[in-house]
Amino acid sequence: MSLKNVLENFSYFRQDAESGGTHKYEHRFGMAIDLDICTGCNSCSTACYAENNLPVVGKERFEKGQAMHWMRIERYWDEQEFEGDFAEQGAKFMPMLCQQCGAATCEPVCPVAATYHTPDGLNAQVYNRCIGSRFCSNNCPFRVRYFNFWSYYEDSWPEPLNMQLNPDLSVRDKGVMEKCTFCIQRIRVAKDTTQREERPLKDGEFLTACAQACPTNAIVFGDTMDPDSNVSKLWMKHQVQRGPFTHKKEKANEELRGYRVFEELNVDPSIMYLERVRDTEV
Amino acid sequence: MSLKVNRRKFLKMLGWGGAGTALAGCDMPTTVTLEEGKEEVVSYLMPEEYVIPGIGVWYASTCTACEAGCGLHGRVREGRVLKVEGNPSSPINNGNTCLMGQAAVQGHYNPDRVTSPMMRKGGSLQNVSWEEALAELNKRIGADSGLKADKFGYVTGTISGHQSVLVDELMEQVASKNHFVHETVNTTVWNAVARDMLGDETPKYNMAKAGVILSFGADFMGTWGSPVHNMGEYAKFRKREIRGVLVQVEPKMTLTGGSADLWVAAAPGTEGALALGIANFIIDRGWNTVDVPAEVRSSLKQYSLEAVEKLTGVPATKIKRIASLLSERGPSLVLAGASTTNIENGYDSAASVMLLNLIMGNVGETIEASYKFPEKSLRPKQGNTKDLLLLAKALRDKKLDVLVTYNVNPVFTAPDALQIREGLAGVGFKVAITSFPDETSLLADLILPANSGMEEWGTHVPAYQPEDSLLSFQQPLMEVIHKESKAFGDIMLSMLKMRSSDFNKFADYYGYLQTAMMNMPGEGTAEERWNSMLQTGLLKASGSQTALTPRLVDIKYDVEKGSDDYPMHLLPSPRLGMWDGRHANIPWLQEAPDQIAKVVWGSWAEMHPKKAAELGVKNGDYVKITSASGSIETQVYLHKGMHPDAIAVPLGQGHEEYGRYAKDRGVNPMKILDPLMEKRTGELASFATRVKVTNAHKFNLLIKMGGSESQAGRKLVRTISSDVLRRTEGEV
Amino acid sequence: MQVVKNSFLRDLIWSLRGRFRMKTLKQITSAMILVVAAVCLPATSFAELPVPSHIIPPTGEHVGEDVPQPIEFPHDRHVKDMKINCMYCHTYARRSKVAGIPPTSKCMGCHKIIATDKPRIQKLTEYWEKGESPRWKKVHDVPDYVHFTHEKHIRKFVEKADFPVEDVQQVCALCHGEVREMTVAEKKKPLNMGFCQRCHQANGGPGDCWKCHK
Repeated sequence: MSLKNVLENFSYFRQDAESGGTHKYEHRFGMAIDLDICTGCNSCSTACYAENNLPVVGKERFEKGQAMHWMRIERYWDEQEFEGDFAEQGAKFMPMLCQQCGAATCEPVCPVAATYHTPDGLNAQVYNRCIGSRFCSNNCPFRVRYFNFWSYYEDSWPEPLNMQLNPDLSVRDKGVMEKCTFCIQRIRVAKDTTQREERPLKDGEFLTACAQACPTNAIVFGDTMDPDSNVSKLWMKHQVQRGPFTHKKEKANEELRGYRVFEELNVDPSIMYLERVRDTEV
Repeated sequence: MSLKVNRRKFLKMLGWGGAGTALAGCDMPTTVTLEEGKEEVVSYLMPEEYVIPGIGVWYASTCTACEAGCGLHGRVREGRVLKVEGNPSSPINNGNTCLMGQAAVQGHYNPDRVTSPMMRKGGSLQNVSWEEALAELNKRIGADSGLKADKFGYVTGTISGHQSVLVDELMEQVASKNHFVHETVNTTVWNAVARDMLGDETPKYNMAKAGVILSFGADFMGTWGSPVHNMGEYAKFRKREIRGVLVQVEPKMTLTGGSADLWVAAAPGTEGALALGIANFIIDRGWNTVDVPAEVRSSLKQYSLEAVEKLTGVPATKIKRIASLLSERGPSLVLAGASTTNIENGYDSAASVMLLNLIMGNVGETIEASYKFPEKSLRPKQGNTKDLLLLAKALRDKKLDVLVTYNVNPVFTAPDALQIREGLAGVGFKVAITSFPDETSLLADLILPANSGMEEWGTHVPAYQPEDSLLSFQQPLMEVIHKESKAFGDIMLSMLKMRSSDFNKFADYYGYLQTAMMNMPGEGTAEERWNSMLQTGLLKASGSQTALTPRLVDIKYDVEKGSDDYPMHLLPSPRLGMWDGRHANIPWLQEAPDQIAKVVWGSWAEMHPKKAAELGVKNGDYVKITSASGSIETQVYLHKGMHPDAIAVPLGQGHEEYGRYAKDRGVNPMKILDPLMEKRTGELASFATRVKVTNAHKFNLLIKMGGSESQAGRKLVRTISSDVLRRTEGEV
Repeated sequence: MQVVKNSFLRDLIWSLRGRFRMKTLKQITSAMILVVAAVCLPATSFAELPVPSHIIPPTGEHVGEDVPQPIEFPHDRHVKDMKINCMYCHTYARRSKVAGIPPTSKCMGCHKIIATDKPRIQKLTEYWEKGESPRWKKVHDVPDYVHFTHEKHIRKFVEKADFPVEDVQQVCALCHGEVREMTVAEKKKPLNMGFCQRCHQANGGPGDCWKCHK
């Protein structure tokens, strides 16, 4: 994007997220996570460790909050149960990963443009460009950006554990911010294949590591721009749309389960959660 | 500007100085782009079939992280396995995996594997060659060794397929009957009840068909049966036209309990009484769909709502509600797991639970006849703790001269009171076939390094067969990492060759397996069958189906009384991830937070906040847990998914050996269990130990994920009632 | 060599050394000769490879370090004299991200018979008989955070452009230099981001960061 380009197309570039932003999207990958069938088993999180060269930080660093779990399962106890004797409705699990916001708060604060929006609708982090200012993680409402406080590669993969490292993406060094990429290396392989075979991307042709591992298939991944993809159908079914926040009450059916976490912040998250259900009769 | 500036430093300066020179910067001869001559590249000697450098190839195999036998696809690039995914054509896991399956690669690449045969010489273990190791073994178990049949023992975990056949062959050659099959995480008691009351040990539990699942401590999504399969079924159960309802009765919230619509804490050890109370209420109201004999009816009378409420502490209203759910939301499915079955009268409490299945007519409905693999010798020998007790007895009575262990660790998994460690000292010659230097192996006289599950051939017949009977095929995903390690099958063949020349015709286990598999009946030529097996990782064989024959058994149920010295119940709870402790050496699993407590890298004890207040402890405080057999000290985590009379200490930690990630981390609750036995099956009653809990007056921060237990009103996880769901998505 | 006497020239040379990180005097002088040759002798005795007309070539030169290889493989002999296509040996280039070093069996396919008396071939045969492959040093290496794929470049510039495969070395030469003039490979192009970026802009390659970074 040269200065000339910016000046010539100023009105186009200054469009805000509400008016569609300035992106020419090829795809907009998104997810739907059904909290009703998420069992909180941690399979997705471990699959993420395996796929994305995530370092194991050890007890002492975990204590300091330096764990590098791009995908974590948060567990909450029900507020009402603080009064009752027992957690009668079980626990509340929430897989939390980068929401790949359409109007991401992390992007504009990067002083070196190491985090940016890709034509696939992802908030990408260019590791070799990152200088570790950590502005982005401070600006993330979801706390899903992880900073390499140490050179983890030195002791996270003692021989021969390092043989497992995925060569499709780099091992990040100290001073670099990193985050969930929706398994961008898989996206790359899939797009290369479709390009070679000269056909559009099929729904379900590839999945993120978490979606592929999930034993209950609670995570549905796909292109939200493809109206026939499973994820689009789910978004439509639950009347969740891209773009700015619409209050539940403004929806045709306000009882539908779909919602996006912190969507009221107008960050346009790419992950729709489906509300957890509990039987009140029991 | 210095030319030695690297890219990151350059951008740092650029970042503060503005972006004007951005493109010029790309031509900087940076330290990172000039890399010629730094790295090596080695070509293949011969071009490998299917291999294109830079492109991953997927091979089908079988997961060996637990006994469920999930099918895997391993991604192999440049000769290394990088990642595993579920095999979509396996009906067990339908393309999905659990965290243990995902982490299996770290077991395979573990830095603490045994890399060479070792022999005890002058008190310490020393590396020896395979020739020397096998020569020594031949001296001890060979045809000329004079080994007496009943003096030979073999300990394995659950074993099936051709590995099991080879163990059987060896036991036959030696004429010994001492094959101990030990697993700490098992469903033996429930299976025994199913055998007696249904006529099938492992029938198919059709969860997807059930409208309500009532589970008495069965952590079917974590550590009960075939977890990945069950989770898939659970998803279907929740997505039924009318959403299925899960009621979980247990003293400690398990992974499954975390998903319950209604989670009920009955007093530990009284779940059987609750089941009988529900049965009584159902029969009383005439809701049962199957007739109940008058004598059963009358014997149930004593379990009136009031009596059961008093016994279990579960309010009568709740008992009524569960009973009405079973009748209104049927078909139902009732299951029992460790906290109900692994107590001294576990069989009877499990039978009480099974009774509900019988009177609600679930047999043939949600409990279906299962298929058994046609070839009997390949069927699994399921591990249990009865064999652990038998092993302990054999060791105590000094009945064994030679003992072989294969990937089991009884020194770790057995209570100290069983004195396995002391007993092993009395065995003349101990051989450990193992991948890891665990507590048991390090006591051995001879350690034989075994391949990891990703380096060897094998066949597995899962005990739980959800569809037509199936054999899961295991093939190596890569060359052995440590050239001295050998496949279990090859080690078995060398042992067999020491006893009989019949086995000389097999060069290796691969040859043996190929011959055996190609001789199995099936469609197409032998070669086609073999190739299709390599490709799909499965062999489907139309198995025989045993019809279920529901039958009542005599239930002698009475609740045990504890002593006042030890008022609390200790629950050594297994968890998906660590399992029985076998995965404690996998860093990913150490760092994967426990699903409920969210604690990492260590041990903790779960308690109810009420009880903790009595003791004066809060999160992170240490408590001392004392049983008649010993004591442990660990930090507490408080939550309301506990019965106040119970304290749960998860299994998995407390290793004294087992590599850098597991060693000296946390405590092992198995150690302080009393050697109690389930009366009817002879299993170890692992949930029956009573303990005394005292404040150790010590505090440390509990290392866990997430600071906040509450959503603080943020509505991150929103919950709606199922009425709303029914209006929006429900009934068609 | 004694030519470098003038202190100005010496300074220039040593500054060049810093600029291009050259280590030995030999490298410097060969670089000098190259510069001189480039400036003074546009028409050299050997014919330069033509640049394919459908490609705007990336600009940038680089004088690489000498990389000693286990066997001093003569590219010139194979390419220029024997007219062997690049992709005969580097066969994965059109199928994968890496071009690949040929399996030793491929070398032996010819050299069981051809030139068996030459010391380099004898060394190769030694490797072959030991059942090992030579441990080559990577010359054209990009940093670990860069995703480069040969396959896509070959597809765009050769297959899609209907460029004759027998002339593929003209395309290869754009990034690898004139390998047909070298024995063991030398790095002649900088292969840094500016080099790639200029070519991408000129030839319509992608400009998205994550296309090339990983």
